[in-house]
Amino acid sequence: MKKKVLLMGASGSGKTSMRSIIFSNNPASLTARLGATIDVEQNHVRFLGDLILNLWDCGGQDAFMDSYLTSQRATIFQHVGVLIYVFDVESREMAKDLDYYRDCLEGLRQFSPEAAIFLLVHKMDLIRGEDLKESTLEAKRKELQETSGDLAIEVLGTSIYDESLYKVRAIDSTFISGAAAYLNGLQAWSNIVHTLIPNANILSTHLSKFAQACSATEVILFERTTFLVIATSSPEPQSEEQTSKLSNKRYERTSELIKAFKHSCSRVRGEFHSLEMELAEFTAVLDEMTKNTYVLIVVHDPSIETAAIKLNIRMARRKFEELQGDSLISAS
Amino acid sequence: MAAAPHHVADDAPIAAHRTKILLLGLRRSGKSSIFNVLFKGTQPKQTFYLETTQKVEVHSVDTVIPLEIWDTPANVTADTLGAPLSDFSSIIFVIDIRDLYNQPISKLVEFIIAANKVKPGIPIEVFVHKAEKLQEEDKIENYRQINDRVLDRLIDINPDYEHLPINFYLTSVYDHSLHESFSKVLQKLVDSLPYLEELLNVFCANSQSPKAFLFDVRSRLYIATDASPVDAATHNLCCDYLQMLNSFGQLYKSISETIRQQPTPQTPPPTASSVPSRTPSLHGSAVSEAPITQVVHPPTWKHPKELFYPSAATTLHPVTPGTTLTYHLITKHLALLAVLPTSVYESRRGLLEYNIVFFREGIQEICDVEEEVRDGS
Ligand SMILES: Nc1nc2c(ncn2[C@@H]2O[C@H](COP(=O)(O)OP(=O)(O)OP(=O)(O)O)[C@@H](O)[C@H]2O)c(=O)[nH]1
Ligand SMILES: Nc1nc2c(ncn2[C@@H]2O[C@H](COP(=O)(O)OP(=O)(O)O)[C@@H](O)[C@H]2O)c(=O)[nH]1
Ligand SMILES: [Mg+2]
Repeated sequence: MKKKVLLMGASGSGKTSMRSIIFSNNPASLTARLGATIDVEQNHVRFLGDLILNLWDCGGQDAFMDSYLTSQRATIFQHVGVLIYVFDVESREMAKDLDYYRDCLEGLRQFSPEAAIFLLVHKMDLIRGEDLKESTLEAKRKELQETSGDLAIEVLGTSIYDESLYKVRAIDSTFISGAAAYLNGLQAWSNIVHTLIPNANILSTHLSKFAQACSATEVILFERTTFLVIATSSPEPQSEEQTSKLSNKRYERTSELIKAFKHSCSRVRGEFHSLEMELAEFTAVLDEMTKNTYVLIVVHDPSIETAAIKLNIRMARRKFEELQGDSLISAS
Repeated sequence: MAAAPHHVADDAPIAAHRTKILLLGLRRSGKSSIFNVLFKGTQPKQTFYLETTQKVEVHSVDTVIPLEIWDTPANVTADTLGAPLSDFSSIIFVIDIRDLYNQPISKLVEFIIAANKVKPGIPIEVFVHKAEKLQEEDKIENYRQINDRVLDRLIDINPDYEHLPINFYLTSVYDHSLHESFSKVLQKLVDSLPYLEELLNVFCANSQSPKAFLFDVRSRLYIATDASPVDAATHNLCCDYLQMLNSFGQLYKSISETIRQQPTPQTPPPTASSVPSRTPSLHGSAVSEAPITQVVHPPTWKHPKELFYPSAATTLHPVTPGTTLTYHLITKHLALLAVLPTSVYESRRGLLEYNIVFFREGIQEICDVEEEVRDGS
């Protein structure tokens, strides 16, 4: 089953940068060396089982845009599952950006009216100050909704850099040097990918059941190579008494930490496989769930040991492998 | 006249018996960056925003031994420092690797001579810093030049100076070289190092571990390791692993839950009055024929055994044979990080835990004695 994902937006807005960080594990600092994308660069990312993301990174220079909208129109806009349109938050040509965006919406309406639409207001790190970030994003959101008419869109603020890059952080806050810098970006892409996964809610339901069986506070399912979050046992963390006490950045941070550590492992020619922790505050196991996913189980009950959790994972594997297979077949 | 050194309000209390380390070097050589990256968790890139140090700043830092790091402005002299050079246990001189001119070398030589007059044999550690800025070839060339010039200058002044204990390191805040170098500086200040190393050797032999480190958890500096050579890649991996665990610990802690009883520094004073020289009786003479499920009977000792000691393990594939990295908290400050064959970790878990209990007991005894000596002196 292939899902075509269009990545569009003005030249220099950051499309290729995000792609290379999330799907190729490159550090943010390397993106400065990227040249402008010529025409369309296609990437096939085998994502979850048989779900293949067919990522079309569309170079944003005017000449290319014009050709997408005319001679290449059908090729580009056919069979689109998701359109991701990237706006540089500091763009000096917002009017022109919006014109192109409107034209693309028209193409989509013609060839793929069902496609989901995500708008990324990117390079948010360039806006200094939390308040200013929020008000800027809000203004952009309004402007973009107006431009999109009554289409359902989702606007997300993103950056490939950690928002606190310019602040000196205390030792206990969580970061890993180098590879850490794409907080918002990871979260945004998790959301996007989530919409592509058929029956994601069913996965969530089963994860909740699994969490109960393990007496876990939380169970999180990650995609194996990107470590993007696929589903969690608590679909609405805010509503839950216990998890609401946990950091609300924990999903991105976990992805970030594991990706950084995987990187360290690869430097000794090893491949990260599993992790178990009995720490002062909680017990957790991170292990393979199915052949494309990893699961993190977090338990706050001190009487439960990692061995028991690992046993539970082993017993749940078949079920989840089936579940994943089922949901993919039924949706294709 | 010397201005009073400024004690910076850090988390650690100002105490009398801190081991003092002096940071010296020209302006913008990287002294404050080194301190902040190692002990404040500052990201390397963020050091760009550090302001120039105007006066002597004294930072109290709690590692396995209580430290006082003295960060200084470039124009400091032995007279304006605010403390006699003889108070310091170690002097770190930071030189920008691209700085091959006379000025830093003169300043360094001046301090080496002054320090050796008041405290002969004081370790002088030269950090040839910002090494990542140069290509491999230039890096080695500049390092060698700085090294030669310092020694030539010293010998010119007095041929006897040839034998002064001066060590050179290539460092950068952007990679693990800084941690590794500072670890070596710190190890010289730990009096009980030989005993710690011996315990690590015994642990490795009995647990089939090719490499084990005793790390100071917060700073991620290693205090001791077994006798096998340190391979940089393994050190870096352990360092990164510790960083991940430190970060994970914060991430899923739930305010509503009670914390398990962890070791605290308020342990009763040990009964032994000298540094223990005995080797704890580690079980392990017969590792290979030990049963898979070894019943563990930890002995009673002054650290109550119902204390909870955090632990973790991560497994790497497929590096044949598979490798497991284990983490065991040993004291409030120290953790044992050991490399183990996955097969050993999986099939002899009980034995491993058993060895760790003995290892922990030995280390705690040594640390208690050190602490007592320090407090009593
Ligand atoms: N400050 C900041 N810079 C970013 C961010 N994302 C990307 N950049 C920089 O923006 C520049 C352009 O990025 P690209 O990813 O090549 O842009 P693109 O959208 O692929 O451009 P075309 O291929 O020409 O359409 C690079 O120098 C990136 O380093 C971000 O979140 N914050
Ligand atoms: N490239 C590089 N720059 C460094 C390194 N360490 C420090 N710096 C930079 O050197 C500059 C001066 O550092 P600082 O710590 O303020 O120097 P101080 O005056 O000796 O305390 C800052 O801009 C740091 O970012 C390093 O290892 N590599
Ligand atoms: Mg591009």
